[in-house]
Amino acid sequence: MSFIDPLYPVFLATGFAVGFGHCIGMCGPIVVSLSLNLKDKNLLIPHLLYNSGRVVTYGVLGGVMGATGSFTLVAAHIAEIQKGAMIFAGVLIIIMGLAMSGWISFGQVFGNSYNPGGFISKGFRRLSQIKSPAVYFPIGLLLGLLPCGPVYTALLAAAGAGMEAAGTLDGIIKGMGVMICFGLGTVPALFFVAKLADMGWLKKREIIYRIGAVLMMAVGIYFIIKGIRY
Amino acid sequence: MKPSILTGGKQLYFATKPVLKIVFLFFILTGFLVFGGQLASGPALAAESTVNCDAHKGVCSQSSGDLTVSLEITPQPVKTMQDLVFKVSIEGASPAKHPHIDLGMPAMKMGPNQVSLKPTGPGTYEGTGVIVRCPSGKKTWFANVIVPGSGEVKFIFNVIY
Repeated sequence: MSFIDPLYPVFLATGFAVGFGHCIGMCGPIVVSLSLNLKDKNLLIPHLLYNSGRVVTYGVLGGVMGATGSFTLVAAHIAEIQKGAMIFAGVLIIIMGLAMSGWISFGQVFGNSYNPGGFISKGFRRLSQIKSPAVYFPIGLLLGLLPCGPVYTALLAAAGAGMEAAGTLDGIIKGMGVMICFGLGTVPALFFVAKLADMGWLKKREIIYRIGAVLMMAVGIYFIIKGIRY
Repeated sequence: MKPSILTGGKQLYFATKPVLKIVFLFFILTGFLVFGGQLASGPALAAESTVNCDAHKGVCSQSSGDLTVSLEITPQPVKTMQDLVFKVSIEGASPAKHPHIDLGMPAMKMGPNQVSLKPTGPGTYEGTGVIVRCPSGKKTWFANVIVPGSGEVKFIFNVIY
């Protein structure tokens, strides 16, 4: 117990610190995309759901790491899923950018007369039609799988905690604890970014949206390229 | 219908405060600097990330004062996301406690990644660890060998994905 207990505050603090450094660069574009896409709606619940989804994914991954006690074993199995998550994030950001710019609406991309045949087309059509903020929870669940150095480091600690644990259940609890603390630590930075993107004086300026939309599409392409090459 | 982005937006009370505009601009600038730093390393960053060890070929040695530390990482070549063995030998110091290694990237904060070392003989230690993969594509890592009571020595090396 004496080994694991300090890990929780350590990784809560680590999450907080890398949140304002690393996560803003990695997840910032996604959070800004989500915020701007909400337009005049309240952002608290959607972002709470997005972050909850992310933390739940971290917790599950931490539990698996803690159960196996092997970082490399689990990481090898989830590598392809993470690659897919990165490409998905890129496509999501591009579509949000296109919709936000006003140049191309969802209706034009997946028009009413268009009958989507593919799984991805159907998925995005449904996504564009969903009005409930509940959709932000599964988005958070999925994007919690994004490959990220600090997340890997936290998972490494979760696996280490599992290795030191008295039993499998103990390992799961400790692994989950490390990752949930880490995830919670990253939340303030991402809320901060979300709040900045929601500022009223910014939302009044169309040029901000135009520039933001172009940047979002560029970031989306960057994510896709990184995902393919990952 | 073209989506409206300019109508219906609720005004936040603090949004009109000049100080928050300045904070926002500061944040944007900081973001560009951070993002820019990830894209192209500046001179200061480059100085801190100058490779001083070819970890893929044998043993590296570095000195700091009277302290001389040798580090060997196996298997070679050194790849990310796999179990690695870190072998350390120390000359010129008798550590008060067992030494350990802090792993990290010079270019960005990765969180605490520590390799505990156990003695394998007089002045020699060994431990296992993992160097994680950074999606940014950067490959330069450091292994900072901390010798309690005697100092620390930093090895900077490239890894393979």
